Formats: sequence, C-alpha cells, structure tokens
Amino acid sequence: MFRSRSWFGGPWGGRPKNRLSLEHLKYLYSILEKNTTVSESNRGLLVESLRCIAEILIWGDQHDSLVFDFFLEKNMLSYFLHIMRQKSGGSSFVCVQLLQTLNILFENIRNETSLYYLLSNNHVNSIMVHKFDFSDEDVMGYYILFLKTLSLKLNTHTIHFFYNEHTNDFPLYTEAIKFFNHPESMVRIAVRTISLNVYKVQNSSMLRFIRDKTAAPYFSNLVWFIGKHILELDTCVRTDIDHQSNQKLSNLVAEHLDHLHYLSDILLLDIKDLNAVLTEHLLHKLFVPLYIFSLTPAPPPPSLAVVTQNLAAVLNRNVDIDIQEMHNPRVSSIVALYLLSLVFLVVSHAPLVHALAWVILNGDHSVFKEGAAEILNSYVEHRLVVVPGFGEPNESLEQALDTVVGHASSSYTISEDSGVESTPAAAPTPTIGEDAASRLYNITDEEKQLLQQTTATSPAFSELTKPFLDTVLQTLDCTENDYLALLSLCLIYAMSHNRGIKNEWFEHVLSKSMRGSFSYKTALIEQLLSIITQSSQTSSRIRLITVEIALELLLTFTKSAVDEALCITPAQQSLLFGARNQSMLVLRNFYKSEDIFLDLFEDEYNEMRKTQLNVEFLCMDSNILLPPTGTPLTGISFTRRLPCGEVEKARRAIRVYFLLRRTCQKFLNEKESLLPLTNVVNLVQVENVLDLNNSDLIACTVVSKDNTKQRRFLVIDALQLILVEPDAKLLGWGVAKFVGFLQDVEVQGDKDDSRCLHITVHRGGVTNNRTPLLSAKFLFDDHIRCMAAKQRLTKGRSKARQKKMYQIAQLIEIPGQMDSPIYSVCGTVAHNSNTRMVQKGASLTASRVPGFAAVLRSNNSAGVSRTQMAQNRSLEGIRNESGSRARRRSPNAGSNSPSTLRSDRDRSPSISGSHSSSQSRENSQPRSTGARSRESSPRMPRPRSEEIPLEDFQHSRNNSPHSRSGLSHHSPCSRSHTPSRVLHHDQLSTHSGSPREPTLMCTNALLSQINGGVTIAREVMPAQSSEETSFIGNDNDIPVTSTESKCKVRGTIETV
Amino acid sequence: MSYAYLFKYIIIGDTGVGKSCLLLQFTDKRFQPVHDLTIGVEFGARMITIDGKQIKLQIWDTAGQEAFRSITRSYYRGAAGALLVYDITRRETFNHLTTWLEDARQHSNSNMVIMLIGNKSDLDSRREVKKEEGEAFAREHGLVFMETSARTAANVEEAFINTAKEIYEKIQEGVFDINNEANGIKIGQQATPTNPALPGAGGAGGAGNSGCC
Repeated sequence: MFRSRSWFGGPWGGRPKNRLSLEHLKYLYSILEKNTTVSESNRGLLVESLRCIAEILIWGDQHDSLVFDFFLEKNMLSYFLHIMRQKSGGSSFVCVQLLQTLNILFENIRNETSLYYLLSNNHVNSIMVHKFDFSDEDVMGYYILFLKTLSLKLNTHTIHFFYNEHTNDFPLYTEAIKFFNHPESMVRIAVRTISLNVYKVQNSSMLRFIRDKTAAPYFSNLVWFIGKHILELDTCVRTDIDHQSNQKLSNLVAEHLDHLHYLSDILLLDIKDLNAVLTEHLLHKLFVPLYIFSLTPAPPPPSLAVVTQNLAAVLNRNVDIDIQEMHNPRVSSIVALYLLSLVFLVVSHAPLVHALAWVILNGDHSVFKEGAAEILNSYVEHRLVVVPGFGEPNESLEQALDTVVGHASSSYTISEDSGVESTPAAAPTPTIGEDAASRLYNITDEEKQLLQQTTATSPAFSELTKPFLDTVLQTLDCTENDYLALLSLCLIYAMSHNRGIKNEWFEHVLSKSMRGSFSYKTALIEQLLSIITQSSQTSSRIRLITVEIALELLLTFTKSAVDEALCITPAQQSLLFGARNQSMLVLRNFYKSEDIFLDLFEDEYNEMRKTQLNVEFLCMDSNILLPPTGTPLTGISFTRRLPCGEVEKARRAIRVYFLLRRTCQKFLNEKESLLPLTNVVNLVQVENVLDLNNSDLIACTVVSKDNTKQRRFLVIDALQLILVEPDAKLLGWGVAKFVGFLQDVEVQGDKDDSRCLHITVHRGGVTNNRTPLLSAKFLFDDHIRCMAAKQRLTKGRSKARQKKMYQIAQLIEIPGQMDSPIYSVCGTVAHNSNTRMVQKGASLTASRVPGFAAVLRSNNSAGVSRTQMAQNRSLEGIRNESGSRARRRSPNAGSNSPSTLRSDRDRSPSISGSHSSSQSRENSQPRSTGARSRESSPRMPRPRSEEIPLEDFQHSRNNSPHSRSGLSHHSPCSRSHTPSRVLHHDQLSTHSGSPREPTLMCTNALLSQINGGVTIAREVMPAQSSEETSFIGNDNDIPVTSTESKCKVRGTIETV
Repeated sequence: MSYAYLFKYIIIGDTGVGKSCLLLQFTDKRFQPVHDLTIGVEFGARMITIDGKQIKLQIWDTAGQEAFRSITRSYYRGAAGALLVYDITRRETFNHLTTWLEDARQHSNSNMVIMLIGNKSDLDSRREVKKEEGEAFAREHGLVFMETSARTAANVEEAFINTAKEIYEKIQEGVFDINNEANGIKIGQQATPTNPALPGAGGAGGAGNSGCC
C-alpha cells in the first residue's frame, strides 16, 4: 500500500486512514465519479481504485453489510461498464483490472442476497457481450474464468438473471461456446465446464432455447472440430511408422479422449432433446461417414474408377461406383478401429452406441446415404434428420449464433446448408420402433423371442452382406502380425462390454448373423482360437496384451446365456488346450536357461495377478496405433510390444503359459492350486510370536547403515530368514522383528572381522522400490557361530531356490519330473486327501532341523476337511524338495551341492518307481496316481555336510515332554520299516515344518535328539489356508491323536 | 509483455485449503495479506526471472470443475507445474492427497513438476498435520515440499518460483518438449530465449505492473 499512498496522498486528498472501510469505498466512488473519462493521466489511479473496490467489497461481504449496500445504491457496476466501453479504457491494461475485480467479486461473495443484487440489473450480461481484446492472454484468461465463475453460480433461481426468455438471450452460454475451439487448452476446458454447468440446470425453457437455437450449430461445429482433429491424428499415425513423434501422437489421442469424454458427459446429463440432436450429429456427421466409411476397402485410384464407370456406361451396364463417395475423407482402418473402440469404451448413451453397433454388425453401404434411421427412430419420436456426410459446416458457430441473436424474435429455421433437415422422420413402423425401444431398456424373454423373430424370420436381414463386420473379422488375422488384430479385439471387447448395449442383444445378433451356414459368432471364436494358438508358438509375433484380450473374449463369447457355465465345442476346447500345452513346451526351453529364471517366473506371476486387464487404459495408450515393435527403447510397456532379447523371451513364454493355464482352468472350472510358488499364509510375519524352545538360535548384533545396533537372534526357516527378539512374557518364545526370503539373501564375509557378516535381503520381484529390505552388518559372538550362520544362509538360499525350481519343473511337466500332465493331477487331488490320514495320525510333533522355524497355529481345532488338505497339494512338492535339506542330518548325508540338477536327478522316475513299490511308503502315504508317487520319491543319501551343527554346542537337552507326548501317540501303521523310508519321512516332515511323523523317527535308530521346533502362537489363521492346520484337522480324524490336537505342539527331531 | 517462456500451472487440492488465496497472493502483490480478509482469485499471471530470463507464470485454479470427468481428466494435461495444496489445520485435506496425486499422475504428462504445499502455516496453534508428515509424504512421492501461509505471504514466492526453477531445469535438460504446447510450456514472442531481460518486463507482470505507476 505504500506505493499507492502517493496517489491518494496527492491531489485528491481526504483518503481515509482505514483501507478496509465504508469510508474508503465512498472515497473510491468519488474517484470514479470524478474520472468518468479514462485518459493516460488517470489510468493508474482508476486501476488502483478498481482493485481496491474488490478488496473492500469482499471485506464488506465478510464483515460489514453496509459496504455492499453502498456499492449497489450507487450502481457502481455501471461505472465499470462505462469505463470498459471507452476506447482508451478498453485497453487491456484497464480491462484486465476490471475483469480481475469482477472475478474477485463473484468468486468471493458469500452472501447470496448480495449476489442476487449484483446480478439483478443487466450489467453483468452487458459485460459478457463486450468485445474485449481476446488476443491478450490475460484478458482471455480473466474473461473466460469470469464466465466460468458465473456458470458455477447457475441454478434454477439464478438462471433468470442470465437467460432472458423473452428476448431469447443467453450471453453466458452463447459467448462462452464461441471459444470452443480456442487454441489455448485451458480456455477450451473452461468452455466445456461452462456448457456443462449450463446444461445441468433444470430449466425447460432455457434448455429449449439451447436445443432449438444453438444445439445444431454448436454440435455440428464441435463434431467438425473433432473430425478435423482426427484427420490430423490419422496423418500422424500414417507418417510415424518409426515411433518418432509418439509424444505428438499421444497428445492428439489424449485430446481426442477429452472430446469424447466431454460428449459423454453431456450425454450423461440425460437431457433428452439435447441428446437426440447430439446423437444425430455424432452418428451421421462423424461416426458413420468417417469411422465406418474407413472400414470399407480403400477405393481404387480415382482415374481407374472413372475409366471403369465410363466403360460401364459404354457397355450399358450398371456399375456401382460412387465417385462422390470415393473422394470422401477417410482414415486408415487402424485409426478407424481405434476410434470406434474409444467410442464404445467411453460413451454409454444407449441410442448412440446401439445405433453404431447396429451399423457395424448389420449395416451395409446404404448406411452412408440413409444413416442408422431404423434404430434412431425407435428412440426419438420426431427426429431432426441429419444427412450423413463428413464435412465442414457451412456456417461457423459464431455466424450461426449471431443469426440466433440477431433474429431473436423470428423463429430460427435451421438452414439447409448446415446439413440439418427439420423434417420429422417417416412414421416409424410400429413393430420395429416399439420393440427396439423397449428391448433396450429391459429385455424380457418374450422380447428376446421377438428379437429372434425379427432377426431370423426376415431372410433379407440375415442374408445381407455385412461389409463392416466382415472387415472387423478379417483384421483378426494375425499371420503377419497383430497390429490390426489388437485394435479389432479392443473394438469387439468394447462393444461387448458397453453398458449402453445389452449384452444379450449383441451376442444374439452376432450368433444369428449368418451368411449361408456360417455364423459370425462361430467365426469369431475360431479367429480368437487361431490367435491363441499362434501366440503359443515359439517366436510368435503376437503381443501379450493381444493374447490376454483374445482369451478374455473367448471366455465372454463361450459363456452361455443361461448360466455361468462355459460352452465350447470339444474341437475348440482341444485347440485351446493344445495351445496351452504348446506354450508349456516353449516354456520348457527356457527352464534354467537363465540364472534368474526363478525370479522371472515369480515376477511374471505377480505381475499377472496384479494387473487386471483394462482395455480402457490400454486404449489411452497411443502406442497401440503404431506398428508393433520389439524395442523397449520406445518406452512401450512390455505387454504391449514384442519381447526383446532372451530374458524377455523367457518372460513372454512364462506369461503366455500363465494366461493359457488360467483360461484352461476356467474352462475346467478348477481352482489354481500350484501357484503362487510361495504360500503366503505359511510364512512367518513380523510381530508373530514364535515358540523357539529347542530351536536353533544364533545370537547376533545387527548393525544397520546408520549405526544403530540391535541385539537379535537369527532363525532360519525353510523359506525365511527371521530375526527375533525374546518375548517378554513367555520364556523361550520370541517375537519376529524382521522376516525376509532366504532366496533373496546375499551374504558376504568381512575380511577384517571373522565374526562379522554383511547381509543384504533384497526385495524379491518387480517393485519400484529398489532399496533392499535389509542391509546390515551382523556381529556374532565368535567366528564359529559366524561361520555357521553363513553356511545356513547360503545353503538356505540355494535350497529355497532349488525347491521352487522343482515346483516349476512339476508345473510345466519337465520330462523326468512328472508322468502326467498337470491338469490331470489337479483332477485327482481330491482322492489323495483321505489317504494321507494315516500318516497324519502319527504326526503330531514337528520334526525339524534346528534353526528352521515353522509356523504352527496352536489354537486350531478340528473341523478341517480333508479336501482342504488336498488343496494344499503343492505341499507335496515342497516337502519333497525340502527333503534335500534334511539329508545332512542323516548319518551318511553329505554336503548338499547347490546344484538343483542333482536333486532333480534324485527324483527321476526310476528311483521313485522302485520306492513307490516299497511297502513302508505305501503304508504311510498311499498314492493314487503315479504323479503322487513321484512326488514322494525319496532321494539318495548324500555325503555328509561339513557344516558345523550349531546344535552340538547348544543342545544337549533331550526330548521335551511335549515331544515325548507326541511320540507316545505314535501310530504303528505309519511306522516305516526300512531305513531309507524313514530317512525320507524325516525329510518330508522337517521341511514342511508340520507336526507329523515324529514317531517314525523315534522308532528309528537314527533318531537321537529332539530339538524344539518353532511354533507360532497367539494367532488364528483361516484353517483351510494353511497346510499345517489341515494336517491338524486330519489328526482329529484319528482318535488316538485327537487329544493332542489342541495343545501346542513342537519338537524337532534331530539326527546326529 | 514479452517473455522467453510461459509456464502454465494448476493448483489442486481440497476446497477451502486456500488455493485461490495463494494464487492471488503470488500473482498480485498489491493485495497485501490482511488478517481478517479472505480473498482469492482463480486465475493470475506474473513475470519472474530465472537465470536472467523472463518467464511468465500463468496459474489456473481449477475449483469447481470436479463434477465432470471430462474436465478433471483434461486440465492436468495442459500444465507444466502443479501445486498440490493441503491445509495443515485440517487432517482430512492431508489424507486426500493420495487421491489428488493419483489423479494428477494418471492424467498429467509424466514431466509435470508437482509441489506439495502445506498451507496456513500461520495457524500453528490449530495445526493437525506435522511438518514432518508433509516432508515424509513428499519424499515418498518424489515431490518438493514447503509450508506456506497465504495470510502472511510466508514462502508463497518460493513455492511458485522453486517449481518454476525445476521446470526450467527440465527444459535445459531437454526433458520437456517445449515445442509441444500441450505440455503447458509456451515459447514467448521474444525472438531468442537468450535475450537479456527486457527493460520494463521485470517485477510483477500483468495487473501487477500497474502498481508501479
């Protein structure tokens, strides 16, 4: 205010001390009064006065109502108008201030009465129609926001201040929409907001004005504007084969989506009359003449056409070449398919999408002349027919609107040149009209029949050629690449999922559409299967996203209308399963070819689980408009391009297999039981309380990067590394403070300190977070413990990985791992459950290797069904695989080489075959399929590990009462008779960490020591989700063990 | 008014967090903060100087446009910078930041610079969101953070200018495609961007200039 003081302190004087007061406003009024003419000399003063007025008025609105009364009483707005209209006053300098003051005024006023008073005289409307200097960006900005602010004040009461029914005057709207194609995007956005705010007001006479006087010119210009934009987009696609200007393309696409969403927002307001006009224009001025037209085969060169026609004339033959039509603008079919997809993805206004879908599914060339009259007549009683054709409106919006305002009193006849005929549509044939209308809103069975009749009975209907549908189906051919096919799939997906089109109608038309004996629906399914088959081949040129949509559509179109069941012919099903098997074959080639195969495999699974197919998001990506490419340098995400390099090829093979596996399971109505490889439910979580009695604990001090030290105990589970802290309440129990996957552990010694390890636990899988879960220095009590820890971790890591690799091998049926295909295994799982019981009966006490923690829910009781156990059949693999870890406990067990290959060999069919015949195995765990027996096949003993068993230092204690009690419940039937079998059981039970089979061990001479297992207590988990609980449940089936079912079970069997 | 570049900003955040007040506070210095007056505007422009170049900041408040999907999705895209504002005295405005950010990230061009603003720092006695929380949120989402007060004008300049500096750096690095106006950056009529600042172009631009007369 210091700067301004100089003005007021000068010639005028008498300026009140308090800037925010009525007195000051009176003083400013006097300035306006004295300076009615704007000149160079008083411009600054006026600007500052206008600015201060805004300030005082808002202050007054919030504090002193007298201020506003004074403003209104003196009619100060008229001074504004007066200043604005002067030539020199019209300079942007003063106008910017005026507009800013008005903006502040209307934005900040809270008192509704004040607002009404401000609007009550016509000054605001006069300001709106004033021709400011819109070339000035600031004037434009303030002006359009002034209109926007006013539009936000619109409601059924205030509308009368803006719309004058008698003079047919609505400057707020008509002035705003003149800027609909302003180069500045923010201005266009404001215009759209204003128009939507206007339409939203429920005032019939205002809406009638909009419809009668402005809708046709506005919408025809808007549609032309969108169309021009599309031609630009098309040029960009045609010229940008090398992905060079994809930023420009993506902007054009985003801009087009803005238009489409705007149109959709208008249609969603559900103003019947307005929607009819808009639908008519969109359909007949853009969608049909440009989009659909572009689906027809490209015309011969014009000269040739003329020659043909002349020739035909000479020969007196009628050749149907419409020269006029040929010259119509068209876009490439890729763009046309894309744009049509977008329409169905964004717009759900039933008449529009229904008519457009009808044209695609049933239409022929006559539509370019007649439009989709048949459908539209059923929606609107007296249509304003718009002649199809894509072209510029003869009258610009501004001209048209000026006409409206100019001849306000005379009724506005829509001129012929704007392409609109004001003739009511030919009386719609009652049957079609009424049926179609009701059909769309609620389909009853009766109507379905009617529909059937209309489609089936009229031969003309079904025998008609359907050039557009033909084109769509033809583009599904992926022999060369999937460039067009992806967009066709998007279109079919969008049509079948559009809320405005009844699914039944869509499918019905599709399945009833015949040409000869050929049903379009069958053709579609066959095309989809062909895409799927091709995608499963090695070096397929089909992108992952295409496969995913094709599979999704296959499910959609095979879903029967009656129930949720999928109906598919045996031939089609075998094609699908053949593709699945083929993809498995391809995947096998990558098994282990990359060191990181396991990581890739798990990543891809998580990615697939995480990302839901979203075609709308896909279609926001302009890259799908360009030819498919393989290079990641384009920044295109993996699923939307071809793989680049071996790793990506492996990824692709994995993903294709997952997708096909998932789809096949849906057809078989099966639940996934083998994936993910890690069952999260069985994992120890942070803050879990673990029973660590008798388990191996290695004390250490964890020194993190910021030098904070924590005393922890290191526990190593089958899959996890756990850091625990003693539990305050329960002796021998610990609270997990950190958990990480062993497979992601990296251990390094310290060359200066033999008691020290550097341990990093990475975040597995694809995450944006690249910082490791844990990266710290571990200090141990002495170098022996340090060595032990290092060995455990290194081996734990490779074991965890081996185990999972084995699971994968089973999953993809690597020869030598399994006999029968996965799905047959899935089918037989249920049979296995009861056979496991016997074994369960004996397995109350977990036998574990020290240092391995396992989860056990102590409070789980009976009631777990046997089939639940079957769902956990993946456990089989886990147990088996982890068996290798136990080997070192056996007398002649040796070092475990990290080679997974070796352990795989161990499970070769011949070995398993010989053992499955062994009686002991059958006793404890009868198998119903060959596959099962394979899983349980034992391994050959390995050379003993040179690992230092930590328990030798720590555990001299023998069997705890708990484990004893467990032993006492030993069931003889599960006893094994041969040492090798026993060894195997040890392996199994050790690694699954579940309380079973201890008795086998105790009867065996090998058993010498029982260490405590790690038990999680104090948490209840869903019974069926955990393999342990299912076992406990089974335990209860056996009387002998039921007493034990509720007590905490622990104990680990240790061999020396 | 000539400039080397024009940067378009948007201001986003819940209603009542003081977006339009911040905007007015920055674009028009003549409106000095007054204790008992809340006053704001939804559009403004101002000239600043970075690295010896005149840069015009044009700021669009997007209040009242949330009702329509087409509008929300389009206005993010046209901006080079966004101020994401919450009110430190109202916890819920902080809680909604994630939604705002998701929206912004989904619709904006990936280079848009987003600055997180905790407004109303003058009302420390009624504070509900700790400064550390704002900092943590910003760190987590890769934003620049600042606490401001439209009422005392504290940090308002810095918030806008720091955002501009970051955009400017991105231009220098070639990250922004300045020839594409859809990114919210416009090259000015000033023939060569390397021109020294033109006399008279300094200080507050637009309406702001009139104060010097």
